[in-house]
Amino acid sequence: MNEQALIQDAQGGSLDAFNTLVLHYQDSVFNTALRILGDEDQAADASQEAFISAFKSISSFRGGSFKGWLMRTVTNACYDELRRQKRRPTTPLEPDARRDDGEEMDSPRWLADPNMTPDQKAEADEVEHAIQHCLNNLPLEFKTVVVMADIQGMDYTEVATSIRVPLGTIKSRLARARLRLRECLQGFAELLPASYRLEEGINIS
Amino acid sequence: MNQRDLELLSAYLDGQLKPSDSARLETRLKTDPQLASVLTDLRATRSLLRKLPARKAPRNFTLTRKMVGQNPPLPRAYPIFRFATALATLLFFFSFGLNTVGRQMASQTSGFGMGGGGGGAEESAQSLAADAPMVATEAPAATEAPLEGLAPASTLVPPDVADAARTAETPVLKTGDAANADELNQAQNEVQSPVPWISSAWQIGLAVIAVGSALFMLLIHQISARRWK
Repeated sequence: MNEQALIQDAQGGSLDAFNTLVLHYQDSVFNTALRILGDEDQAADASQEAFISAFKSISSFRGGSFKGWLMRTVTNACYDELRRQKRRPTTPLEPDARRDDGEEMDSPRWLADPNMTPDQKAEADEVEHAIQHCLNNLPLEFKTVVVMADIQGMDYTEVATSIRVPLGTIKSRLARARLRLRECLQGFAELLPASYRLEEGINIS
Repeated sequence: MNQRDLELLSAYLDGQLKPSDSARLETRLKTDPQLASVLTDLRATRSLLRKLPARKAPRNFTLTRKMVGQNPPLPRAYPIFRFATALATLLFFFSFGLNTVGRQMASQTSGFGMGGGGGGAEESAQSLAADAPMVATEAPAATEAPLEGLAPASTLVPPDVADAARTAETPVLKTGDAANADELNQAQNEVQSPVPWISSAWQIGLAVIAVGSALFMLLIHQISARRWK
């Protein structure tokens, strides 16, 4: 895929060229939205909105990391979604995914990998839920940075350019986000694999 | 552990420190077990996040032309037709308005003049009905220009000849009186309903341009959309 050529074609109005880019980046965009919003349906909606918005404003892309530019678009779409939720809180129509004994049922969507044994699936599911729970408890600006840097694997400069904050702020937010996540994950120590168990007791003054 | 050390450890973990800062931190890590422990925890946390399974998008997010409000490219002449349609439609309705105003103004004008001219015409019509020979001479004066052309041939006959032939001509003149009365009424009607300012031919022409141009635009749209697909 010649990304640069596709971007230029998309800037010239070619929807086909843009859709090739969409197919290439849609998983990254969706995962970013999913980790920020914590809900698959909302993440899908935000991703779609982000791509529509990206196509409409692609002429403003002046080079650099296209992924970083897309990430900014999707984080903006997520912020819009969160603002919308604040204005109009909704009650889900789906039945509560909890059994009578209060234990949460496994969603089939989380059991996507056919190579995993049921135990592994259950374990991965629990770890993922635990991490998502801790991500959801982070302030939005911390969550955005940690999702981009640690989940999407973007470097500091890319993240700084993407969300338009100074590099020093990115370093600070990422360090604090990691610390908060670490503290939160302590509460799920029994769920985490032995190799991921964290030691207790970091006191930051 | 202070905030500064936490940021240093986090940046060190990502290889974002300058070589000199890295070397200094590594020296401290060897001698400070708490610092080393925090580094281990941060590394484990980052590792957990990195191992989060990447979800496949639940559907393709490819865009359709409708989603982005994209329209088919239209010929350069398209705006001309759009302008022509808009202008012809505007003028078409404007012509009706103009004619209505024209009629109102004309009726006001004739309303003021009716006291003399209209009354005169009625009087002359009545006198024509009452006295046929009088009509022959008086009608032209009463109705002035319109009646000059409408006056019967007997108006050209000298009065003495007319007197001589009065008895013989009376039935003829009576017939002529009736005709004159009709013509007078027509003349009155013409005065009351003036000619419109914008003729119907123009109005029809404008309507044809507006409708024709709009249909042509629709055709261009459909052809462009079909080619675009």
